[in-house]
Amino acid sequence: MKNNIEAPTLEMYIKQDLGLTQNSIEINNVTVSFKTPKGKFDAVKDISLTIRKGEIVSIIGHSGCGKSTLMNTISGMVKPSQGEVLANGKRVTGPGPDRGLVFQNYSLLPWLTVYQNIYEAVDSVLKYFNKSEKKTLVKDTLKMVNLYEHKDKLPGQLSGGMKQRVAIARAFAINPSILLLDEPFGALDALTKSSMHIELLKLWNLDNRNKTIVMVTHDIEEAIFLSDRIVVMNNGPAATIKAIVDVPLLRPRHKKEIVHDPEYMKIHDQLLGMLMDKLSIADIKSSI
Amino acid sequence: MNVRPVAERRQVLFTFKILYMKNISSNLLSIVYFLCGIGVLLLFWEVSSRLSDGELPGPIPTWEVFYELLKDPFYDFGPNDKGIGLLLWGSIVRVAYGFLLGTLVAVPLGILLGASKIAMNILNPVVQILKPVSPLAWFPIGLAVFQSAPSATVFIIFITSLWPTLINTAFGVSTVPQDHKNVAKAFGFSKFKYVVKILFPYSLPHIFTGLRLSIGVAWLVIVAGEMLSGGMGIGFFIWDSWNAGSMEKIIGGILIIGIIGLLLDKGFSLLQKSFSYEK
Repeated sequence: MKNNIEAPTLEMYIKQDLGLTQNSIEINNVTVSFKTPKGKFDAVKDISLTIRKGEIVSIIGHSGCGKSTLMNTISGMVKPSQGEVLANGKRVTGPGPDRGLVFQNYSLLPWLTVYQNIYEAVDSVLKYFNKSEKKTLVKDTLKMVNLYEHKDKLPGQLSGGMKQRVAIARAFAINPSILLLDEPFGALDALTKSSMHIELLKLWNLDNRNKTIVMVTHDIEEAIFLSDRIVVMNNGPAATIKAIVDVPLLRPRHKKEIVHDPEYMKIHDQLLGMLMDKLSIADIKSSI
Repeated sequence: MNVRPVAERRQVLFTFKILYMKNISSNLLSIVYFLCGIGVLLLFWEVSSRLSDGELPGPIPTWEVFYELLKDPFYDFGPNDKGIGLLLWGSIVRVAYGFLLGTLVAVPLGILLGASKIAMNILNPVVQILKPVSPLAWFPIGLAVFQSAPSATVFIIFITSLWPTLINTAFGVSTVPQDHKNVAKAFGFSKFKYVVKILFPYSLPHIFTGLRLSIGVAWLVIVAGEMLSGGMGIGFFIWDSWNAGSMEKIIGGILIIGIIGLLLDKGFSLLQKSFSYEK
């Protein structure tokens, strides 16, 4: 609230999260229900979760288990039916400039160029900046993700990986203290995906690992490589948290070497066991 | 600009050359096809003319009469004797007026219908009842209200132009994808920014589809409208030629109407393309 009294400077935006609570996100007893023709439907039920500042947390689970719904309560796109979500100590009532969003399907506006896509977001969120400050910010962000030479292209002219880089750049440009990624790399091929993981971590490092990142995924390897903790969800409806798995692997992590780490293999097996009931296909006779 | 290495530059030039030649040859081919089509039409026409024992004039006598018309298209010998150019121009102007007025009403109304469920529920039944009515049925109402045939003709074009534009605009506005709405929500777009940066760009291709359909129907209707109102336009020219017993003039008129219709459609197709985007 106090930010509204005076126009904040760039420094204030960068430092806005200093001095606030160390808990970046608090989810307290959140239930989300939707009305359906068949009656009330609970997507997630009574979930509590605390995420520390600078932490990378993945939410993993089967399709339709409510993991995106849970994340959308943090972004403010979905209002909890019960309970509350605090972001940087403030109650979430809707989307806000302290939380950047990356959507599953990029969600770039196809009639705007790469530059304009980022500029419109910046222009809308950072109202107190003047035009030249905004322009510089967009340019710097584009250079940071190596997209500057593509700035005048339309999204239709970009590959899937580049589109998602633009979407990530758009979320980073407003310099949020919390970054929310909803299955961000789900549509990308394995090679592009791997390089995007590294780019994401680079951006996180550039900011001294101050940003909190919450990511929804169904990819076990991706979750382990990126996260400090992995939240495993039960199958919906009325999904709850099945387990929270710590990933105590040292950073920086090496894509190629990490898979041979015994700790990695242990976590991988543990997650696989939780997510897959049957680990091998049944015998033909017994399945008939 | 950074200077590309010579080899790469050559490659680019080469690629460009191939694309350019491909383009030319495909254009040439489409011209050849077009001429073939015209040839078939002329042949069919000539054969029909001979089979009808001259009831239907062949291409050559038609051309001779038609050429006389085209030699002096803008003469004006009073209300019932004008050059074909003047008549045609009158038709185009009336279509333009009616179409513009129709667009001015249909686009805002379409946006309202697309944006508001209530407005849609109220106005949709009205639209559904009025849409299938032949625009010519409105002619007497136009006459009664405006007391002048030219204004009544503009009025029926106005009515004609309403429906396709209205329906397509409403469709465009009401189908803005949730993804785009989410962007606006997530980044806190103002109402104004939402309309200018999302709603309008998304709906524009749909609006132009509506406009293209509208101008097509308007050009169809003007001929019939002017046959009804008499004394003006290319529609009157056709009817007048019938009364004068000149098949050649009628066929010439039909060709002119077709060519102008084609040009209008191509023009709007170009407009439509320039406002569409790749997904």
